[in-house]
Amino acid sequence: MTVTSMKGTAGQIVSSILVTALLVGSLVAVLEIEDQRALGICVAIIAGLSFLAPKLGILRGAEQAGAHHPWAVRLIILIGFCSLVLILKDNNFALLMIATILIYATVCLGITIQTGYAGLFNFAGAAFLGTGGYTAAMLANATWLPDIVTILLGGVIAAALGTVLILPVLRTRGHYAALTTLAFGVLFNGFLEANEMLGGPQGLKVPGIQIFGWDFSNDLVIGSLSFSFYANYVLLIGAIFALFMIFTRFIERSWIGIWLDAVRLDEIAVSVFGLRISVWKSFAFTAGNFLAGVMGAVYAKMTEFIAPANFTFGDSLLLVAIVLLGGIGNRWGVLVATMIVILLPEKLQFIQEYRLLLFACIIILLLMVRPAGLLARRVRVFEERH
Amino acid sequence: MSSIAQYLLNGLMQGTIYGLVAIGFTIFFGVMNVIKFSHGDVLTFGAFGGLVAAWAATALGFPIWLELVFVVLISVMASAAIGAIIARGLVLPLKDAPPLNMLLMTMMVGTAIRECIRLFFPNGTNPQRFPELLPSGGFDLSGVYFRYDGLILIAAGIAFIFAVQWIINRTRLGLAIRAVAEDGETARTMGINFTLTVAIAFAIGSMTAGVAGALYGLYYSEINYSMGLILAIIGFSAAIIGGLGNIWGAIVGGYLFAGLQTAVVALLPALSDYKNVIALIVVVALIAWRPTGLLAERGSERV
Amino acid sequence: MLGSKGGVWGLAVSGLVLMAAANADGAFAKEKVKIAFVGPLTGSNSQHGIGGRNSAELAVKLKNADPATKYEYELVALDDECKPNVAVQVVTKIASDNSIVVAVPHYCSAAAIATVDIFHRFKLPMVIWAAVLPQITYAKKVPEIHRVSGTLIGQNRVGAQFMKERGYKTFVSFADSTDYGKSMNEYFTKFTNENKNEILGAFAVPPDQQDVSAELTRIKELNPQVIYFGGLTPLGTRVRTQMEKLGITAQLEGNSGIMGDAFISAVGPELAEGTLTFFDSPPLSKMPGGKFFSDNYTKAGYTQSPEAYGPFAFAATNLVMEEIERVGPNRAKITEALGKVKDRPSIIGPITFDDYGQNITPLTTKYVVQDGKWTIWEESEYATGKRKLKNLP
Repeated sequence: MTVTSMKGTAGQIVSSILVTALLVGSLVAVLEIEDQRALGICVAIIAGLSFLAPKLGILRGAEQAGAHHPWAVRLIILIGFCSLVLILKDNNFALLMIATILIYATVCLGITIQTGYAGLFNFAGAAFLGTGGYTAAMLANATWLPDIVTILLGGVIAAALGTVLILPVLRTRGHYAALTTLAFGVLFNGFLEANEMLGGPQGLKVPGIQIFGWDFSNDLVIGSLSFSFYANYVLLIGAIFALFMIFTRFIERSWIGIWLDAVRLDEIAVSVFGLRISVWKSFAFTAGNFLAGVMGAVYAKMTEFIAPANFTFGDSLLLVAIVLLGGIGNRWGVLVATMIVILLPEKLQFIQEYRLLLFACIIILLLMVRPAGLLARRVRVFEERH
Repeated sequence: MSSIAQYLLNGLMQGTIYGLVAIGFTIFFGVMNVIKFSHGDVLTFGAFGGLVAAWAATALGFPIWLELVFVVLISVMASAAIGAIIARGLVLPLKDAPPLNMLLMTMMVGTAIRECIRLFFPNGTNPQRFPELLPSGGFDLSGVYFRYDGLILIAAGIAFIFAVQWIINRTRLGLAIRAVAEDGETARTMGINFTLTVAIAFAIGSMTAGVAGALYGLYYSEINYSMGLILAIIGFSAAIIGGLGNIWGAIVGGYLFAGLQTAVVALLPALSDYKNVIALIVVVALIAWRPTGLLAERGSERV
Repeated sequence: MLGSKGGVWGLAVSGLVLMAAANADGAFAKEKVKIAFVGPLTGSNSQHGIGGRNSAELAVKLKNADPATKYEYELVALDDECKPNVAVQVVTKIASDNSIVVAVPHYCSAAAIATVDIFHRFKLPMVIWAAVLPQITYAKKVPEIHRVSGTLIGQNRVGAQFMKERGYKTFVSFADSTDYGKSMNEYFTKFTNENKNEILGAFAVPPDQQDVSAELTRIKELNPQVIYFGGLTPLGTRVRTQMEKLGITAQLEGNSGIMGDAFISAVGPELAEGTLTFFDSPPLSKMPGGKFFSDNYTKAGYTQSPEAYGPFAFAATNLVMEEIERVGPNRAKITEALGKVKDRPSIIGPITFDDYGQNITPLTTKYVVQDGKWTIWEESEYATGKRKLKNLP
């Protein structure tokens, strides 16, 4: 296989199949293998393949396939996703982890719109995630409200809460802006801890999802196949993730994306051209918070319990770390980075109390070795759209 | 009336500690345009260094005044050393990376320091008793309890703030630091050793953390591995409200934050749970009102 | 370094030989049974989590050393960080692992409350070792849920009664703003009011707050005879040392959260002197097997102390292993057997589970610090009148 053989339609399709298979295979292997030694070998193989993939032009091929044959690629991904669920069908824990990965990845897509496209820092991601979660908890008694509406309301209220921050975020820049969101994240957590109505530090119970009589807390049965009840959540969250991936892609590739790029790179020049900076910044900020809120509601309903301890400064930091490691502004990078950041601490459970230390060291190392992230965002190339 | 004075005294002590932490943030920002979030944990590191020094001094049978000097000295040196190491090993290599990378990196460095203290210091998760080395007791002046140690520490803290200010503004070393802060490239062509100057600036900034750590231990008689995180958030807030890069701004910010916290408890005791929430709301509001801090940074790039 | 290919091959071969040897060994070994332990191994409560983990591990080690057991036990220790979402994750993990037959989970109540339903859904029996919030067991009857630690109701009832008998009248409550502190405050208030004593004020601060002098200044104005503290050691240490700095001379009434040597060593024996605490277990030295536990804990070389709840983790782990020995490694059978536990001797006193799985025989004991040691009240010089508590009317 050479670089040239990966060009052309067939090569591109093969590349995207290989990349999807690599992702699915890695997930299954990492989630299913418990034995430390086997896991180590397996991670080494995955790392080797990931290192090899760009050298063989497979990554580039898959990328081009995404640009030229989006629907074919989407079909491949869908097949990959379905086979993933099928393989792990009764593994509760693995499906829970996949759902968690997809939730965090979606929230990080929101932060990608904010940080990656519009250049706005958000150190309060966990606060907006929490807003969605608490909305779902507060609406638990309103059983007449369909859960779909509840979930959407989680997003709307998170976005609305975010508008409080729009003024300071718009007026400030750089570290000053970082502090506004950081302070907001910390004060949000403090507020949750102190507020009795929201359950205080002990937290609240949240009922699971029911959509049109489809009860998500029962095992999913399709034909003669029986799936863990978490499969319900994986399917729903997968669908939402796909929707928002397409939404983000749309933003990135439309004029909005170009405007946002311009706003990020040179505000003064942009204002000279008459672009309304504040409008586009507000739009990006609100859209990102909406995504976080929606996923917060779903997350709360999936774990059926929320407490302030889930939405600390450290959790916001984790979200920023994902976006950065993925390569700021790269949607697929977000997914890969989320897998690493969510699965790594979990797989480090065996070193018990040392796991946070090792995690911090790994992140530092990654930042030193790959400052641009695992998959750096490409500079816009306009010829690519024929 | 008497309790107002008491609150004022408490606030003054906290404000001095916050101000010292904020000065560090402001120096790092001034020199390298970076926010070094591990600063709070450098403070913890210094305080634990001081604790070890106190243990050693007791074992060696030092007289109490010498033990005090030894504790403060080791705290400051431990902080300065680790601050310079972080600057040389982690901050300088990343100086061209986006600010977000630096922020995340230093936050992770802070986490690593914190976890190391927790795991490798004997019984590190538990709070540690810091020896009382200052004259205990105090005097009651019309109902206000003045502690000798409190008064001494506030005075020492303020004296150190002036010392740092003097180093930066009146010495050759300070001149070099300011030159690097203004324009690293030009400073280099003028024969200033860039790397060394940056490391020294970071060491000085970290010394303020060491002093704050020693003050903290001596005043509260107790230190713990996680005290740095919240101090970093407050110190960062203070530096920002004051205006990054401005030492006086950092001090104003520090006292302001302490004043806010104390005022909430004193005036609205029912809301004492919310004191950090309220203080941070005021911080956000202040930033919305003055986007580059109360005492604006020199050469702000606002158009 | 073994740079050559030969070295690598040598390693591989010896690895294979080792594996073969291990397999050969396994043929004669006892059946392996896995038990899960869950607690905070990172974060600010990790001293308790690690102390509990060590104690549970010790129980397993001692059991395995006994040739008379039917099974060989393996402890799988997991970190819940005291966060509900992480707790849900790790409990789902152990619950869906069929080789794990029983769990000994949770120090923090918020984590325990979040996972009760998961244990029930996957029919995994468990015995909580430390979380003390009453609702965990008493919210509803769940057959899988058991708890050896007492609820915090008992200690507050005993404490309020004790303070009344001493003649104290005015109190201020100072609690942390976690679920633990808030419930502590709730039951303290309930029993103090029932005893017709007066609470002059209640304060709640986050457990990581460093400076409590503003709150204490306010308390100094209120001038209570007693400051009740409902929280854990780190905050308790700050309250005690800062009380001193502000010249507050009130009597300090603590609770299970500050029980342990960490409090005394952090504030120093002089300041700790006379501090009261009510705790659900007599000192280890008084219990059958208690000395055996502390001796072996030291012998095992753990650097971290077992903390107050270590013995509870040890007792819970022993209890589940005893049941496995009797009914075999089967989740349903263990659940059933645990439900019937009655007057089972342990190092924390006899264990009896009620219909809700709650241990109803915790031996709430009154302690006072005397010369840098937690001493049983009845045996202290305070009870004989030789020393006096502060502010006694």
